[in-house]
Amino acid sequence: LSRAKKAVVFFEVEILDAKTKDKLCFLDKVRTYFFSSYPQWYPARQSIRLDPKGKSLKDEDVLQHLPVGTTATFYFRDLGAQISWVTVFLTEYTGPLVIYLMFYFRVPFIYAPKYDFTTSKHWVVHLACMCHSFHYVKRLLETLFVHRFSHGTMPLRNIFKNCTYYWGFAAWMAYYINHPLYTPPIYGEQQIRLALIVFLFCQIGNFSIHVALRNLRPPGSKTRKIPYPTKNPFTWIFLLVSCPNYTYELGSWLGFTLMTQCLPVAFFTLVGFIQMTVWAKGKHRSYLKEFRDYPPLRSPILPFVL
Amino acid sequence: MFKAAHSDVAPKRKKGPGALATAYLVIYNVVMTAGWLVIAVGLVRAYLARGSYHGLYYSIEKPLKFFQTGAILEVMSRVFLTWAVTHSVREVQSEDSVLLFVTAWTVTEIIRYSFYTFSLLNHLPFLIKWARYTFFFVLYPMGVTGELLTIYAALPYVQKTGLYSVTLPNKYNFSFDYYTFLILIMISYIPLFPQLYFHMIRQRKKVLGHVEDYSKVE
Repeated sequence: LSRAKKAVVFFEVEILDAKTKDKLCFLDKVRTYFFSSYPQWYPARQSIRLDPKGKSLKDEDVLQHLPVGTTATFYFRDLGAQISWVTVFLTEYTGPLVIYLMFYFRVPFIYAPKYDFTTSKHWVVHLACMCHSFHYVKRLLETLFVHRFSHGTMPLRNIFKNCTYYWGFAAWMAYYINHPLYTPPIYGEQQIRLALIVFLFCQIGNFSIHVALRNLRPPGSKTRKIPYPTKNPFTWIFLLVSCPNYTYELGSWLGFTLMTQCLPVAFFTLVGFIQMTVWAKGKHRSYLKEFRDYPPLRSPILPFVL
Repeated sequence: MFKAAHSDVAPKRKKGPGALATAYLVIYNVVMTAGWLVIAVGLVRAYLARGSYHGLYYSIEKPLKFFQTGAILEVMSRVFLTWAVTHSVREVQSEDSVLLFVTAWTVTEIIRYSFYTFSLLNHLPFLIKWARYTFFFVLYPMGVTGELLTIYAALPYVQKTGLYSVTLPNKYNFSFDYYTFLILIMISYIPLFPQLYFHMIRQRKKVLGHVEDYSKVE
């Protein structure tokens, strides 16, 4: 673990005149100048702050609006190697897609040799494969075409952590669902049908929320607004919940657990739920802080409960 | 939890840590409170000095981290060794390896909690501080060796009896092989133990390096 290095750098900034007042010095300019002097620290890994222990300033911050005098003293901290969110998402989602299929097609060295390249005799196993694959294809497409990210990058080490989580769990679940000794759900067709309905409902719901969130934000902007229900009934859950995308995600995995009746899937659902609850609470708290008129009826992730 | 665990192991031994385990338990129960009192006293002091709750965590952050660093791993490994291995596999209870790690733990704890007590009273004899940061050179490897040997001794019995293991097929579509799990645990010592060990060495340099700064209070 490295300590924050304090590098005090003085810039002489020419502030442009009132004629071009919308070209005030944004902090991303400061980052660009810094980068030209220190090429090993590209802008995404620079944390610039007014106080060594303070919060990092944003690109959108304007130099003139900061509590500085005629000379501004900034403190720099290296955030470490960065990687783009898009890259991380694509990698962490492609893994489970491919890995699950390897188990589904019973690629050699996973199960006993006599089962190599055979397929399960249970039709629910085929259904589960379709659902799991659909889920991750949907996520990949959303990453490419739907999501608008607030931050461009995250620390590089996150990709190892995240991929271990997604890929590891995918392998663990897929191993049992596609196992020659797999036991189908106790309540048979009824259970599977209900599970599929829940799963599909929540997939559509989750997608609807992602689209609604995208439409809140015009392209290229980083504005934040309160999300509200739209004409799409799947978004009406915004009346009760701040992060319904997580609510629907939980629902999808509960459906998948019910469909496969597999303990590792239940465990994955639980771990995911815990993580999403943490995120939802954080998001909810920042909504409350930022907007005075935030609807009081809403809970972070589960209506009235959590 | 430790009390129950140790009284379970102790009677099965003919000689060895009977008296030692008892002494350990007495000190453990008395001084466990003291350790947390250090934190509490620190908090009260900081509050009185600042006049507010703001930033109180930062005042006890160092001693808290100091006491807890490595403690989680140590605690987890001890609970695991005591319950999941020694208690569960009767055959290993007469092994010398058990004596090895119990002795190591006991001596470590006596020193550690004396250290905490004296720190609390602001009367820490240099000898105790020195002991805490020097004995571990021998006690850590001793404890780890004992633990690893014990787990290793338990392996054949676990495999034979299928202890704590679940096989397919079953309606939850889940399986667990305790034997493999134990082997993975043993492997995990390889990255974990050196980290702990070197952490203690670094702590030692930091703490014992400032001998002149430390006033030997009577």
